[in-house]
Amino acid sequence: MAANKASRLGEEIWKTRIDKVNAELVVLTYGTIVSQLCKDFDSDYVEVNKQLDKMGYNIGLRLIEDYLAKSNTVRRCSNFKETAEMIAKVGFKIFLNITPTIANWTNDGKQFSLILDENPFADFVELPDDGRAQDELWYSNILCGVLRGALEMVQMQVEAHFISDVLRGNDTTEMRITLIRYIDDELPPEDD
Amino acid sequence: MSYYFAILSPLDTPLFEHEFGTSKSGGDGQPRFTEQARHLNQFILHSSLDIVEELQWTNGQLYLKVIDKFFQNYISAFVTASNVKFLLLHQPTTSVPTANANANAANGAVVPNTAQAAASSRVNSTSVGANPTSPQTEEAIKNFMNEVYENYVKAIMSPFYKAPNMEIRSPIFRQRVAAAGRKYL
Amino acid sequence: MSQPRPPNGPSAAGNPSAIPPKEPSSSHTTGLRYPSNGKTIYHRHLSRSKTAELSQASFAYLFSEMVTYAQRRVTGIQDLEKRLNIQGHPLGLKLLDLLLIREPPRSQSRPLNIITLLHFIKINLWQHLFGRQADRLEKSSDPDAPDEYMIIDNEPLVNAYVSVPKEMSQLNCAAFVAGIIEGVCDGAVFPARVTAHSVGSKEEGEMWPGKTVFLVKFQPEVLEREALIGGKG
Repeated sequence: MAANKASRLGEEIWKTRIDKVNAELVVLTYGTIVSQLCKDFDSDYVEVNKQLDKMGYNIGLRLIEDYLAKSNTVRRCSNFKETAEMIAKVGFKIFLNITPTIANWTNDGKQFSLILDENPFADFVELPDDGRAQDELWYSNILCGVLRGALEMVQMQVEAHFISDVLRGNDTTEMRITLIRYIDDELPPEDD
Repeated sequence: MSYYFAILSPLDTPLFEHEFGTSKSGGDGQPRFTEQARHLNQFILHSSLDIVEELQWTNGQLYLKVIDKFFQNYISAFVTASNVKFLLLHQPTTSVPTANANANAANGAVVPNTAQAAASSRVNSTSVGANPTSPQTEEAIKNFMNEVYENYVKAIMSPFYKAPNMEIRSPIFRQRVAAAGRKYL
Repeated sequence: MSQPRPPNGPSAAGNPSAIPPKEPSSSHTTGLRYPSNGKTIYHRHLSRSKTAELSQASFAYLFSEMVTYAQRRVTGIQDLEKRLNIQGHPLGLKLLDLLLIREPPRSQSRPLNIITLLHFIKINLWQHLFGRQADRLEKSSDPDAPDEYMIIDNEPLVNAYVSVPKEMSQLNCAAFVAGIIEGVCDGAVFPARVTAHSVGSKEEGEMWPGKTVFLVKFQPEVLEREALIGGKG
């Protein structure tokens, strides 16, 4: 799907088919999740990142149904570039009301960046001034897990991680997404 | 005019402190507390807390104006919704203010820089704060407090800020308070 | 030659009471880095996201992950509700200030009595979080419980999406909201215990099966003070 068509689709769905809530309810709830994790794991930020990714993965597994239903997607994206367009302009739009910029493709077309010019999760946030958080914590890491989980459900194994974050003092918030492989439509694995 | 500003938690522990001087009428923004006064400032603020706690239950306004006076020290108070106190101690310079505080606002600006230090005492005495209970001063302090409150709320909204008893260490917050001081006081 | 001094530096000359200024910020060194455009939370207008919206589904996903995560670290339903309550508490403390500062200046006043406080919760807090007021506010009719008030929500948003497993049917995720309310009360110096109770029946034809009562039980000193100041303000 062409970029501008995806863009229009995202806008259209957001306007007409999405039940909405106050953004701050969502943002503040996310904040309590992250601060609770930091507390439970005694500011072991590497572990907090993992936990956030895991939570995101669980969300992604369920969210994809919702996404497919809302976007009326009936066919697979024809390539990974199209997938990127749909993630940025439809997925992010309908769940977070933002449209990240797609950038920095590798030549093989398997790796790109999402640059979050706006990141609602980061509203109100200042990382702890403990000399470590800005080097170790990826505050919005749940988003990586969401992408990983959601794409896995549509036969794509991806790897996603943040490479910069304005909360760390970087000039951009950038997530890197890599296609590992397409999961073949193989027979469902036998239960064991 | 010298100012000592403190934010106190509901448990009366200091969360933030800042000393500054007037920037009005050519003031250089530097506090001129004597060493002795500086030691007393915190004590004076704390001893006015009883009055604040009494007033806050009869007056729902956030800004309670000048609530106490201790010799040449005036205390203005502002109580946030969550019972955090912003207290401002203002100490007019010892020379007795004789001039009309309003009319001289412009005079300070023409004091040449070289004479500034020597003149500071005189200049300060005619600044906005020279009459600590005048409507102009009350209004200026109110504006200062409101601006600090806005920045305070920004500081506490961070999920990592443990409201309401955590010290505010952000240097940006400090810059903002200093800027509000320069702007209004 | 006179001593050189920095152009904007203070001078003690001519002012015997002056002392070298202390640089208070030096005792508060910070390691935080900021983006080169200098944008921080302090540059963002406080009302910027006041009316912003996100999808309800996003909230539901996050909230149920929060509950699932909490569930793994507790021993029972009561413990879980307590944990959700504790997680909501700081939000109440912070929202109290945020919502008050967003009021127009002339209605920016601290609640001085129980009724004003509860109205603030029923109207301002609910409107902000859930886009509508709470359905009802009641004082306990039990003469032995003059310290108890009830805020009633016929259809709490937090319960709308969270499917509670059968073995936990007593769980009310609105405990999180109870924690927020408790935070508001505690912050405003009306210390209270707030608990969420499902009162809707699951029977066929029940209009509000998810109906929840938030029971606010104030500490004795709140009522004592109320009696003293005679509910002024």
